[in-house]
This record gives sequence, structure tokens and C-alpha cells, in this order.
Amino acid sequence: MERYLKAGSSFVRRQYMPHLLLAFLFCLMSGFFVSFQNLEASQAAKVMEMYFTFTGIILLTPLFLPEQNKEIWLLERSKAMPLWRLYLIRILLAVILLAAVVTFFTQLMQGSGSVFPWGQLWWGSFTEIVFLGSIGCFVSAVTNQVILGYMVSVFYFMANIGASKYLGKFALFQMMKGEYGFVPVMFAAALVLLAGGILLRERVK
Amino acid sequence: MFGTLFLKECKQILKSMVYYIYVVVFVMFLTSQLSGEITQKLEKPQPGQESYGTINSQDESDVMEKELAELVLETYHNSYTTYPLGFYKGVVLNEEEIARVTSIIENCTGKSWDQLIKEMETHYSDYEQNSIQGAMQAQIAYSVAPAQNLSYDEFLRNMEEVCRVVGAGSSYQRESLQAGVSVPMTYEQAVEEYEALCSKDRVTGATARLFCDYAGIVLSVLPVFLGVTRCLRDKRAQVSQVVFTHRISAFWIIGSRYCANVCMAYLPVAVTAFVMQMPYQYHAKTIGVAPDVLAFLKYSVIWLLPEIMIVLAVSFLITELTENVISIFIQVFWAIVSLFSMVNLKGGFGFHLIARWNTLGSTTQFWQQRQQLLLNRGFYFALSLALAALTVVVYEKKRREGGTVYGKIFKGRK
Amino acid sequence: MDTTIEIENLSKNFGKKQALRHVNLEIKQGMFGLLGPNGAGKTTLMKILTTLTKKTSGDIRLCGIPVERYREIRQMIGYLPQDFSMYGNMGAYEALDYLAVLSGMNRKERAQKVPKMLEKVNLGEQHKTRVKAMSGGMRRRLGIAQAIIHDPKIIVVDEPTAGLDPEERVRFRNLLCEIARDRIVILSTHIVGDIEATCENIAVLNQGEILFQGTVSKLLEAVKGKVYTMEVSAMELPLIQEQFLVTGILTNGSMANIKIIAEELPVKGAKPGHADVEDAYMYLMNHASASAGSV
Repeated sequence: MERYLKAGSSFVRRQYMPHLLLAFLFCLMSGFFVSFQNLEASQAAKVMEMYFTFTGIILLTPLFLPEQNKEIWLLERSKAMPLWRLYLIRILLAVILLAAVVTFFTQLMQGSGSVFPWGQLWWGSFTEIVFLGSIGCFVSAVTNQVILGYMVSVFYFMANIGASKYLGKFALFQMMKGEYGFVPVMFAAALVLLAGGILLRERVK
Repeated sequence: MFGTLFLKECKQILKSMVYYIYVVVFVMFLTSQLSGEITQKLEKPQPGQESYGTINSQDESDVMEKELAELVLETYHNSYTTYPLGFYKGVVLNEEEIARVTSIIENCTGKSWDQLIKEMETHYSDYEQNSIQGAMQAQIAYSVAPAQNLSYDEFLRNMEEVCRVVGAGSSYQRESLQAGVSVPMTYEQAVEEYEALCSKDRVTGATARLFCDYAGIVLSVLPVFLGVTRCLRDKRAQVSQVVFTHRISAFWIIGSRYCANVCMAYLPVAVTAFVMQMPYQYHAKTIGVAPDVLAFLKYSVIWLLPEIMIVLAVSFLITELTENVISIFIQVFWAIVSLFSMVNLKGGFGFHLIARWNTLGSTTQFWQQRQQLLLNRGFYFALSLALAALTVVVYEKKRREGGTVYGKIFKGRK
Repeated sequence: MDTTIEIENLSKNFGKKQALRHVNLEIKQGMFGLLGPNGAGKTTLMKILTTLTKKTSGDIRLCGIPVERYREIRQMIGYLPQDFSMYGNMGAYEALDYLAVLSGMNRKERAQKVPKMLEKVNLGEQHKTRVKAMSGGMRRRLGIAQAIIHDPKIIVVDEPTAGLDPEERVRFRNLLCEIARDRIVILSTHIVGDIEATCENIAVLNQGEILFQGTVSKLLEAVKGKVYTMEVSAMELPLIQEQFLVTGILTNGSMANIKIIAEELPVKGAKPGHADVEDAYMYLMNHASASAGSV
């Protein structure tokens, strides 16, 4: 167990810190751009879906960044600890942070006089955020280029502004319309993308 | 030497996956937004039509009627649209504040709140609410008459009061009121509009504007990825040291990279614009107008090229300075702020990164604001050249001192 | 025009750390070897010479031109960094052509010289091989080709043979010697063998200071008559290593043939041995650390 904690904390200190700071800053600035007060369910959903989904992109996309360098990747692969565990720790870390973000801001909204079904919104937001992030994570795993991960996930977000009707259960911004049926499917998709990302990074030559 | 380097850079861009994603995303976005049949809007208006669309009016009584109508609607839904820092923020009021606003409305209209609601509901029930078109029609035609003795100054004072309750950046702010409101067009106005469309825009000008509107949205973000990729390639391939020691000056290195990226980013824009213009060129001929064949080029160069330039210049500068991907976040943020801060989807260019004209036509209004657009784009054009020049300076400094400013600050962490 | 590099009283600080201290050097035409352990300041010195880093104080003139006039300096140097690489998706020809453009060569010159250079470094047949598919040796040869293609007066080569197999290493050294006939080639390395095989003049750098400067034979003179060989049992070895500077061990069963450096005959039965540059270098370094320790 200690080894895993060590590997995780080294990742945070050496590579992840700027991304964490960025996510923190992004959350900190939310007050300027969105309101938390007296919202009803669809408005609260809008805040979570259109603003906080970006935290998913920020935190989940750069997880494979250290191994973008092939030598480091080879070196780490030769070690006793399997790579997938290393990645799993990082993903878990990011997902826990995202859960914390969702919890904090949904609570904040509730505390500021907003009325909405808390559990439902929590799961919906968490699913969407992790799903959008997992797209970035997966793409950067496939291409070994973090930039492409950002690019695709940002464009997925933008595509949903105009063309969400073509995306079925994978469309974002459904909670704003009072639609929650997407949660199980999207959550499963996010898990598949994350697992797929790890698997690919493990295998790729 | 510049030519050779420029071509080599273009060739490199053609080999990168990011570029192909750029092209695919751009084309897909544009086709999905502009694929609908819009030629019917380019027909000559006939007398007795149900509606002729809208026109901007700054007439005081028009402003009062429409603004009061909007205030009634927003209060009814208890959802106010505001842009406090230029970014969309929905405001919801508590009961006390709502009571405050309704009393202002009652004051301005001389009618009770219940009566106003009843009138609104009867107005909307006259329209087919299930279709978007019906809803739009209802919205356009809805207005609330001010009390007869209400002067414009008094109205303004009341709106100031509303602003105090709702918060900064609402549509009841003085600047917003001055910008005018949309009112239904009369037949005569519609004919005038149509004639302007045929003579000034020659049809294709109007479609090119609509193209630029949509293209402008994606181009506020897309080129960032090209810029960041190019600047990080040297680091990734570990070639900076080799490049640094060569004789060529930073001006040529950065200059050729920047120009190549601008040109390659613009190329698919011009091609798409040209292809999309074709059916309208044909349509113009069928209605007896000689189309402006070069409209796509004129509009895309003036409207979109400066945007591509500034987006690339910023990403070049930030990435050369920091040697990481931070510029993606900054610029996506910038683009989204710009996109959501548009109070008006038609004009009001100001110094927004994205210039919007989300309508086909409104020719007269556009030509009134043309100056403003040119100023905006001219500003970004000049700014991007300045930033590119600054990038050259940063690059040369790195070359001489062997490190980035950012790297020096964060050196302790390595 | 003279082909010398004069370095006077050169210092370079990184914050509080002194990477180079009052270095004085004169480098003349031919191969010049810069020897020193890792972290001695070799790379810093090379980076200053190639205008990649600014000096803190001192004077440097390359062929009479002060290093501050970096634009002119860049025209007359060719640099092969330690970890030379190019854009992975470029072929050998393409990469060399690209760098030739950066050196300001026009189309005609390039069309003439690029193929010639590739021949010279033995990449003629692999001119389409992409950089990312190249072996370490091929990449290094491409690196030397780009460093000399614009016919510079000074070539700076940082750790050129690290990671090459013996055959490639020999070939590479020969290539360098050939190039050095009419210009200055500065070769920085911590591999003594490279210097021994190629350089007439050398300098030894340690902790930012010049320990030695002169010809190889002068360096050898320092250890003349101080090298001994003897046979000891493997058991005794640790004890001997504590007492003497051991520069070579060849174990043979329970016995070991060793080479040691000592001011006088260390033990009875030790025979005088042949001194090579490595011995001299070890002696020098050992001396330096001993005197540093006594201060």
C-alpha cells in the first residue's frame, strides 16, 4: 500500500501540480461567472454541466503525461509494479478530486437557497464530468499526445452546444432539460474509456 | 530563405495529425450549422405575409414596450439573464426581490401584475407554441405598453432600480437600452431590406456573413492547438538546442512558423467558404441578382483571418514563454467568455474576439456597423503582429540565455 | 584569418553555484579534447562557446570575434549537442536540408551539399530513413553532418561517442579527425579513450576549474615512472585499493593482476608498467581531490 501512496504522491508533486492548481483556480473563479443562489433544478444543472464539466478535462486528460516520453515509459514498464496499477492510482486520485468538486459545489448551491434533488444532480454531474474527462484521457492514451486529448474533449463539449441531439445517451447538458436517463449508460462509457486508456498505455509498443 | 522555410513548415503541418483534426472539426461544425435550406429567406417579401422578421429600433416608445415585455417575461419565469463580467450569469430572485420588481412593473405600466400576466398568457395562446417558429413569432410580437403618462426619463429611472435588484449586466442597463430593441418589420421596411440585400450584399455577402458568424466561433479555439503543437514540437523532439545555434535569426524562424500556421489554418476556411457559397451564387442568379463571387474571400479575410492570427499569436507567445500546454486552457477560457458575453448575436462588435452576425441579411444594420467591425478586426490584426513580434523577442532571449522565464520561476520544483 | 579560440578569466554562475571559475584556455586549429568527469562544467563551457548561455564574466574571442557578437559567432560554429535529435517524422535528407536552411544556405548550395554530406557520414543510402527510426549511431552521424554542412570554422561536439558501439565509435572518431584538418574541433567527453585516439591538445576540467592544459604527451609525463603492475590475491585487493590508486584490475581465478599509480615503488615485486592517458587522468583527478580535501 505504501508503495502506491508513494507513487501517487510523487506524480502529484512532479507532474500533476500545475493541473491541480489550474483546476483549483477554475473553481475559485466560478463565483464570477455563475450564480449559486436560489436556483431551481434546471438552473443548478446548467451551472454544473456548462461550467464544472471543464474540471473533468483539466484533471483527467494529463494523467499519462509523464510517460509521453518513450524512455520513461519503457523504464517504468520494466519495473515490478505493473503500469496499470500506477495509472489506476492516478485515475482514482483524479476521480476522488472530481467527486469532491461536485460535492462541494452542489452543497454550496443547496446552502444558498437553491432547490433541486441533490442525489440525482450529484450523480448526473459526476457522471458527465468524469465522462468528458475520460474522453480526453482516452484520446491522449491512444495518440500519446496530451494536446490531442484536450482538443477532442474540448470539441466534444462544444459539439454538444449545437448538436447534442445526435449524440443520444452520450450527449452532455441533458440535466438542464430535466433528463436523467443518460446516467447509467454514460457512467459505463466513462469506465470503459478509462479502462481502455489504461489498457492501451500498458500495451502500446 | 523565408519562402523555403515557410514551405518546409507547411509541409510539416501537413504531416501532423492535429491539422487533420482541425480540418475535420472545422468542416463538420460548419456543415452541421449551415446545412439547412435557407434560400427561402432570400425571397422577395410579398404584401400580406404573416411576418417579415424583425428590425432593430431605437425609438423610445419601442424600447419601452419591448423592455417592459422582457421584464414581465423574466419576472414571470424568475430567471434573469445578466452579463456582470461579460459572461453569462443567470440570476434568480427571492420573494422579496420579486415583489420589488413587480411593483416597478406595475408602476411603469399602470396595470396590476395579475392583469399583465393574464394579457401575456392570452397573447402567447394565440400562437402555436410547440414549433420553434411559432414561439419565435410570439416572442417577436409580444410587447407591453407603458403607462400613458410615463416619460422616457422616468422609465430609465425605473430600470435603474431594476438593475439594482437584479444585479449588474442585465438588459435593463442604460447601454443595453441604447442599443435598441428588435421590433417586427413592416412590409415597406421588409422591401427596403430586400433591396439592400440585392444591391449591397448581392446575396452572397449576406450568406458569407452568416458563414463568418459560425466559423468565428470554432476559430476562436481551433487554431490554439496548431500553435501549441508547433511550439512544443521543438521541445518534444529535443531539437531546440540544435536550432538555436544556427545562424538564422529568430525573426525568420518564428516568422516562418507563424505565417505557415496562419496560412494553413486559413486554407480550409477559404475552401469551405467558397464551396458553401456556390448554391447561393446560383440562387442569386435565379432571382436576377449578379452575385458577388468574391464575397467569401472578402468576408473571410476581413472577418476570420485576423481572428486566426490573434489566436495563433497568443498561443505562440504563451507557449514559447512557458513551454507547456497552459495556453490551451487560457484560450479556451477566453473563447468561451467571448462567446457567452455576447449580449447581442447580431453586431455590437466592440472588441470581442468573436464577431457575431447570427442572421441572414439585416443588411442595412450591418452596413451601419461595418465601421465598428473593421475597427475590431483591425485592432486584432495589429495586436497579433505585435504579439508575434514579442514572441520573436522571447524566442531570441531564450536562445541567448538558455531557459524560459517560466522555467526560471518553477526551476525549484524540478 | 586566425583560427584560435581565446578564453580569458571566464566564470559562469548559476545562482550561487559556480559552474566555471576563472577559466583560461587557448585553443588552436585541430582536434581539441575537453576532458572531465560528469558535472565538471564541460557542457556549460560548450554552451557559452555556442552562444546558448551567457557568460557571467571574462573574455572570449572566437577567431578574433568576441562571443557577444553572437550573430557572427553562429555563422562560424557548428554544434552537435549531447542528445542530438531532429523532428521524428523527417527523413535524413529532409532533416539535413531543413537545418541547412537554418544555416542560411540557398537552394543551389543545399542541392549540392546535402547529398554529399550524407555520403560523407555514410547515410547516403538511408537518406529516406526517418529520424525516429534511426539508431543512436545514425542519429549522431546525422548530427555531425548538420554541424559541418555550412563549413564552419569551429565545431563543438558534446559527448559524441556515448552510447555508440565500438565499431561506430571508431568510425566516428576517424570522421572527426578528418574534419579537423582545417578547422577547430572541440570534443568534450568523459571517455578518456576518445581523447587518446584523436586529440593532440587537451584540457582537463574539474569542478569548474582547469586542472591541466597541454599536449597528451605532457599529460603522460606526469605519471611517467609512477605506474606499476603487480599480482595480488583477490583477498588483499580491498586493502590495496584503500592504500593506492588502482587504475586497472584483471582477475584471474583467486589472483588479480592490478595496475596502480604511486609516487614510488609501492611493494616489493611490483613491476613498472606502461602509462596511458587514462592513468594520467586518474592521477590528475586523484591529486585534485586530495588537495581539495586538504584545504
